[in-house]
Amino acid sequence: MARAIPLVRGLPRFSTRPRMGTIAKHAVLIVVALIVAYPFYFMVTSSFKDTLEAIRTPPTIFPNELHPENYTDAWNRAPWGRYFLNTIFVSASVTILELITACLAAYAFARLRFRGKGILFTLFLATLMIPSEATLIPRYVLMSPSRVACAGFPCLGWFDTYQVQIVPFIASAFSIFLMRQFFLSIPNELADAARIDGAGHLRFLWSIVLPLSIPALITAGLITFLGSWDAFQWPLIVTSKPDFRPVQVGLSAFRQEAGSSYHLLMAASTFVVAPIVLLFLVAQRYLVQGIARTGIRG
Amino acid sequence: MRVKAGILATLMLVTAACSGAPPAAQQSTEADITLSGPVSITLWHALSGPQQVALDAMVKKFNDTNGKGITVTALNQGNYTQLYQKTLGAIQAGALPELAHAYESFVADYMKADVVVDLGPYKDSKTNGLTKESQDDIYKGYYDTNTFPQYGNRLLSWPFTKSLAVMYVNNDILKEIGKPIPKTWDEFEATSLAATKKDASGKVTRMGFAFNTDASYFNAQVYARGGNLMATDNKTVAWNGKEGLAVLQMYDRMNKNGSGYSPKAFDYQSDLATGKLAFFFSSTSTVPFMKDLADKAPFTWSIANLPQAATDPAKAKTVQFGANVAIFKSTPEKQLASWLFIKWMSETDQSAQFASTSYYMPVRATSANSQTLKDYWAKVPQGKQGFDLIQYSSPEPNIRGQQDIRDVIFNMITEVITGKSAPDAAMATATTKANQIIKDAQ
Amino acid sequence: MAAEVIPTNVRASPRRRLPIEAIQAWLFLLPAVVVLGVFQIFPAIAAFYMSLFKWDVVQGAFRGFGNYTDWLYDSSIRSPDFWRSLSTTFTFVIFTVPLEIAISLVLSYLLFQKMRGRGIYRTIYYLPYVTSFVAAAAIFFWVFHPTYGLVNDLVGVLGIGPQRWLDEPSGIFELAASAIGVTLPGLLAGPSLALVVLSLVTIWHFLGYMIVIFLAGLSNISSEYYEAARLDGASERQLFTKITLPLLSPPTFFVFTVASIGVLRSFDSVYVLTSGTGGPLDTTRTVTLLVFKTAFQQAQFGLGAALAFILTLVILLFTLIQFRVLGRRVNYG
Repeated sequence: MARAIPLVRGLPRFSTRPRMGTIAKHAVLIVVALIVAYPFYFMVTSSFKDTLEAIRTPPTIFPNELHPENYTDAWNRAPWGRYFLNTIFVSASVTILELITACLAAYAFARLRFRGKGILFTLFLATLMIPSEATLIPRYVLMSPSRVACAGFPCLGWFDTYQVQIVPFIASAFSIFLMRQFFLSIPNELADAARIDGAGHLRFLWSIVLPLSIPALITAGLITFLGSWDAFQWPLIVTSKPDFRPVQVGLSAFRQEAGSSYHLLMAASTFVVAPIVLLFLVAQRYLVQGIARTGIRG
Repeated sequence: MRVKAGILATLMLVTAACSGAPPAAQQSTEADITLSGPVSITLWHALSGPQQVALDAMVKKFNDTNGKGITVTALNQGNYTQLYQKTLGAIQAGALPELAHAYESFVADYMKADVVVDLGPYKDSKTNGLTKESQDDIYKGYYDTNTFPQYGNRLLSWPFTKSLAVMYVNNDILKEIGKPIPKTWDEFEATSLAATKKDASGKVTRMGFAFNTDASYFNAQVYARGGNLMATDNKTVAWNGKEGLAVLQMYDRMNKNGSGYSPKAFDYQSDLATGKLAFFFSSTSTVPFMKDLADKAPFTWSIANLPQAATDPAKAKTVQFGANVAIFKSTPEKQLASWLFIKWMSETDQSAQFASTSYYMPVRATSANSQTLKDYWAKVPQGKQGFDLIQYSSPEPNIRGQQDIRDVIFNMITEVITGKSAPDAAMATATTKANQIIKDAQ
Repeated sequence: MAAEVIPTNVRASPRRRLPIEAIQAWLFLLPAVVVLGVFQIFPAIAAFYMSLFKWDVVQGAFRGFGNYTDWLYDSSIRSPDFWRSLSTTFTFVIFTVPLEIAISLVLSYLLFQKMRGRGIYRTIYYLPYVTSFVAAAAIFFWVFHPTYGLVNDLVGVLGIGPQRWLDEPSGIFELAASAIGVTLPGLLAGPSLALVVLSLVTIWHFLGYMIVIFLAGLSNISSEYYEAARLDGASERQLFTKITLPLLSPPTFFVFTVASIGVLRSFDSVYVLTSGTGGPLDTTRTVTLLVFKTAFQQAQFGLGAALAFILTLVILLFTLIQFRVLGRRVNYG
């Protein structure tokens, strides 16, 4: 049943019927789009208003005067440059490393035979079930410089570093499963051909499987990158110094500092959200296809 | 009779000892040592914005001038809740900093792990402590709040960023309605109602009073009405008396007649500044924010004590706010270095300087003589108005479980102002819960 | 699920094949195993260990499953809190997930027709998904502001008075009934307005994600079905109910399961929108928030860990029941 029908194809026959409902359909879609987009509109327009106008009620539809200096003001109030640097570095590292780990592990699950596969699979699945609040304290202790807290072993001492924000996320059961689904669908003929050519698993993976999996890789990569960019709770408790803080934590701190300087908070929110929105706009095709794929398989 | 007294005395000593006092003898020698070499210590705090800048300036000055080789690093850990969580995690990990900003309830919790240093020996130490004169100069309320009856009445933290609950007034509105700043609760209620304006459709356009759901303001009002917060044995609450009930009833009436409203976040500040609100209660630390708003769009405002039930001005009472600083057990040298830093911060000149830049209250009465503070008050008269009220501020309870009791009070007030419960019903539920919490926390 | 691939190596004997391959497999798995083991599994075991003790800032007495029974029935403070938060969490799921699915389904159906601007609509609907809740929270506080928010202005047009939205602890049915002078007691009052606002924000966030999955599901339905039904004289409505919906059941089921688990586990959104407190009169205090409060505000790590594991079991149970009850009705075509 699962034929790869491209998304552009509409339901048959409807395009030849009289378009009575088209206006109604567009109306509904537009209303929903307005509702969905309003918060963003509000955020951006508020960011250009001055202090008092930003907190006015009812809110003005469009700023009376444009104040682009809000952006420079907000930017100067906190070390945003550093925050962004941290976030980009951490998110990129996590994404790349996680993709590598996921591909290797997914390949093993999908195409290699070994004892204990079922148990390991279930164990990995279990890691997705446990709420992070439960493991927060043990993981925090693990990162501390304590000498004895980690079941008799010295702990890692990774507070206020980049490693603490990267290493725990190098493996994710979600990415592994995503890639596994994909690898399972690689035709056996290709594997046979590679074997006959004398290629080992690693070579097969690198030269054939990966290039075929680029859409899935991009999907997994985007999801991982997004998750890392939006990370809040973990970096909050393992970093204290602004040198290592990511943008979400910075934004949260800024929210407290800004107090009633609402226009500045909106400016900061805008430039925190903007990069990801741009990334998404550029790469949405892959994200959409990838998610669709997971949905169909179920 | 003699024998009885003797037995009684012994019993008292035994009970005092059994309330969890570690041997104090060891620490008094620790407090008297001198530093042998350079020491680095870390302070975790919850200050941001201008207050953080003020603290950093003080820290830098201390590092440059202490002459004992002590270097302090001050690190912001987020807000108070986040600071508390991190400190808890640090206790689990055995990785505490040398000192941390802490509310009294935090310290009560940290003491479950027995990680906090008793400051009594340091305060009284002949080598490193304060003279009697100096000790007496610090407001008594600041000692009281840092003394923990559940832990043998030891001094477990030191005043650091103190403030107090006061009433902010929009004088322009009062002038317009021709009323003075209210001194009693009845006057307050009447003036708030007089200040309330509604438009043709009945929608309120100017409010009299902004409700606080924070437990501290409830406590402040109970104090101001002449009530107590805890029974003397600290085993049950006392805010469920007629004073506490009067607070809820007043909120109920003001909610129904429209003179009171629930602001969201910091709205009450801008509402007062734009002439939409006549009164709110807040900490003296709100002064700089109001000053900022006044600089942008001028309006007349002042600070006064909360309306009082007592007619004798000397008996006026409000609640003390702000956090303190606690020193964690580490090496004797680091503990001493930490003590020297916080002692320095509380000395007259530093206290005055910090107060003038951070808008927190000085901890000593004699800071009023400092020129720095006088200059600051010339620019911001509301600062002096707050300062004059410090003597009337009393601490809130610092028992275990107090954090949860605050939540209970918060819910109680919410129920009344959202009209979900009548004042006495809300009070009854809250009292039962609070007493249960105290019992559980023993 | 597709069959697993069994490599056909004709040269080596069956006996020798497995160990080498197994070794390779474990090497490939090593990074994942190490990282997941150290950073997920080991902490989970440690957390379980903690849940067996009274752990009030410091480790105390061994309690066996005492912490668990406290939550379930034994304690006069904990048990009511637990059951209350469980009911809040489930109400949250019941309100959010079906509505999410219904709205996304309808929108996907509309979008699926060949029309102009489809890409733009899809992009707009997808935007909330990429926005972190920290950023979104600030905006929603204002949109739903009790005094200055736009939503109050909008409902004012409809003749409804200003509401407290995120600060309103009263149930929505109760609010509606009181407008006509009827009082509704207890459970009938319904979920608090604050919880409903949270639901709406959650739906806003996941809208695009679901639409994408449904669009893919729709495109998978073979046109032959429609053509055949049309020839039989089926109306549009019949096409939708008899063909589209049933054949959409696999992705719908997937979405339902994933969404339910997601909402049961959600923390960031609830935490940020209630400023960490659990909402007005605790009416938005989900189990995750209760875990957080117990562990990180009351420093009761043993109890907090126990509650987290209880939640895990609840999610597991709920998912299994879903598979049982709904899985049967899924039409794989």
